[in-house]
Amino acid sequence: MEFKKEILDNGLAVIGEFNPAAKSAAVGFFVRAGSRDETPQISGTSHFLEHMIFKGTETLSPLEVNQAFDDTGALFNAFTSEETTVYYAAVLPEYLEDITKLWSQLLRPSLRDEDFDLEKNVILEEMAMYEDMPHWDVLDKARTLYFQSHPCGNSVIGTRKSITELTSKQMRDYFSNRYAPNNITLCFAGNFDWDKMMQLAKDNCGYWQSQTVERHLLDYEGAVNTDKLEKQSVTRQHICLVSRFVSMQDKKRYAASLLGKILGDSVGSRYFWALVDNALAETASVSCDSMDGTGAMFSYIRCSNENEPKVIDTLRNIFKEIESNGMTQVELTAAKNKTLSALALKNEVPMGRLITVGFNWLYLNEYRDIEADIEAIKTVTLDEVNSLINQLKPGNFSRFTICGTAQ
Amino acid sequence: MLNKHVLKNGMVILGEPIEGVESVAFGFLLPCGSALLPSGHCGAANIIEDWIFRGADDLDNRALNDALDSLGINRSSSVGTNHISIAAALQAENLLPAIELYAKIITKPRLKDQQFIPAKQLALDGIAALEDDPRTKVMLNLYENFYPAPLGTSTTGKAKDINDLTEDKVRALIDEHFNYSKSIFAIAGNYDFDKLCKKMEALFDIECNQKSNELQLAQPGQKYTHFDNEGSQVHIGLMTPTAKPDDKDYYNIRTAVAVLSGGMSARLFTEVREKRGLCYAIGARYHGLKQAAGIACYAGTAAETAQQTYDVTREQFEKLHENITQEEIDRAKAGLKSQLIMSSESTAARTAGIAADYYLLSRVRSLDEIKEKIEQTSVDSVTEYLKNNKFNDYTVVTIGSTKVEM
Repeated sequence: MEFKKEILDNGLAVIGEFNPAAKSAAVGFFVRAGSRDETPQISGTSHFLEHMIFKGTETLSPLEVNQAFDDTGALFNAFTSEETTVYYAAVLPEYLEDITKLWSQLLRPSLRDEDFDLEKNVILEEMAMYEDMPHWDVLDKARTLYFQSHPCGNSVIGTRKSITELTSKQMRDYFSNRYAPNNITLCFAGNFDWDKMMQLAKDNCGYWQSQTVERHLLDYEGAVNTDKLEKQSVTRQHICLVSRFVSMQDKKRYAASLLGKILGDSVGSRYFWALVDNALAETASVSCDSMDGTGAMFSYIRCSNENEPKVIDTLRNIFKEIESNGMTQVELTAAKNKTLSALALKNEVPMGRLITVGFNWLYLNEYRDIEADIEAIKTVTLDEVNSLINQLKPGNFSRFTICGTAQ
Repeated sequence: MLNKHVLKNGMVILGEPIEGVESVAFGFLLPCGSALLPSGHCGAANIIEDWIFRGADDLDNRALNDALDSLGINRSSSVGTNHISIAAALQAENLLPAIELYAKIITKPRLKDQQFIPAKQLALDGIAALEDDPRTKVMLNLYENFYPAPLGTSTTGKAKDINDLTEDKVRALIDEHFNYSKSIFAIAGNYDFDKLCKKMEALFDIECNQKSNELQLAQPGQKYTHFDNEGSQVHIGLMTPTAKPDDKDYYNIRTAVAVLSGGMSARLFTEVREKRGLCYAIGARYHGLKQAAGIACYAGTAAETAQQTYDVTREQFEKLHENITQEEIDRAKAGLKSQLIMSSESTAARTAGIAADYYLLSRVRSLDEIKEKIEQTSVDSVTEYLKNNKFNDYTVVTIGSTKVEM
């Protein structure tokens, strides 16, 4: 593996991790734009804009864009989170140039009114789809409950009101600032020709104008709130707990992710033994989100209505127990081995490396090779994990529940 | 390069080394899928899949799971129509100890009574959870109605059947259906095949039942089924029969499905989402079993646009043979070939591919063979197949606040 980087005069960071043994290549534009950068009036714009990027440029119609992607056979897509929008593609090496050129054209979109109006329907359908997925919807609502007025609580998809009322001008204004080149990283992974890609980036992105782009980084203690939504169409209890977690910039994030694994991996964790093994809950797991300057730990539990009180008691007992006695060395060793296996699998494909390398640059301005991550995981001590329990206090959580309507 | 070895008990061992990787993935296909179990036992496979992990041989539930975790194994298991699939991916140096644990799980599960209760409860919970996941529920019901029984038997199970199951009934099913001579073991990544085979030969050197798996197929289910639901969307599942994986026209139909719904420029996405904005999620895919196959389509839309979405979708199936262009075929082929090569980079995906090939075709296709066959499809061959096999037999399931007119 060999790392390459160059910053264009306009601030666009171009980086790449070259692996000559790879059969494919991956490319991604990582934009520092997400729902935390929105005001309530334009809630959902980052995500809507992600859809609009596929609608073409002054010279490319939406259908031509889709055909151009499909001509390369690429596995491509985009996703928007609270703080990033990522446009990516995995392709055979011979198509990398075409696909990179296409993405770079699309990142200067035309944002036509007629496309904007039609795509609004698709966004509203997407919103409806998530409403029919309570296991997804509960995470979104719990995040907002926990972060309150902190921008990381902004919904990625927005509200029906904000999307319906959003104008194409508001989107254009948002775009012109957040999609400045100095707010974007272009990343390559796998088998690629660096000189060729660099030239392509200069030719196609070199003219983009840099701007002053701001983001307010505030850490957040986190609210301790409880709320629920009753829906006639729902039959189970969908419970989400959100508590404090370390940021991407925090060196303790490896220890913190191991803490999350010990607590709530899908098998063999504290949650598994106390809730799932005995069928008190159907599923119970933890996901950890290290973000820009802050973080949040999410627990998702699904159970029957009658088991809900016992599930909550059990969760509180788990937190009490770990706050008093901590985790064990055996648990830490197992969590490390599972993490290292998952890392080995993820790193085998260029697409897996793309996401890691891209995010490391975006958040840390740093390249970390695979060995550095392996070493960081291997050297975490039990004391580090246990002191994080006291620092993060997972027992201080906000809880949101989606369940059926009371009989 | 494919490695193959047949154990004395008849289990086929298939392997494909992948250079430059540090991981290895392996999987067992055990002939105990939902369709193979007797009537009235729907969901027993889901209990089995859970119960066998709750202690094996000298290891109790806790000790077994701790042993799996200490090796860092990424585990997965699932119930399919024909098999229970048990898979693992891990760092290569832990392969042989991991194989020892999986051999215990398969050949010497403890199957304690007290562990049956939570296994059964979790199977019931999985069914209850479907009510909150209409998208998955619509497709499960679609397969059930589309395929001749028992091929479409729910891979999640039926609550009524599960409630009637006892420890002894499920133990008897395991004895009867864990037939190693009909089981397949596949491995891909970084491994030593000779050492692996010696280990497998020693671990699986035991007698087992030799049950045959011949299925008597009945008629498929009803053509249209609707479930009332007050959710935000109407979920539409539609399926129509097509060529099986071993059919000479298999690659023509795969290319045809890619023209219909391979990428974002494919016909369904273009007509339903891009031109009309009717849906966020719309797509069709090839769904092939050994005994039958179909093209399965899903769309989720608002109640007021459900009929239009259904009509536009069905029209695209019916017009698929019309005016297929060279560009469409080229894009379909590019997508199919890319998916193939990229999935070969992942040890876990390659393991699943090897095992599925062997089960469906009794041999494993090389990547070059698949590429060549995809390359051989053409505007003429795809059009001719579609003209001779027009889509006119649909099975439809909807969940939502409104029905559709077929």
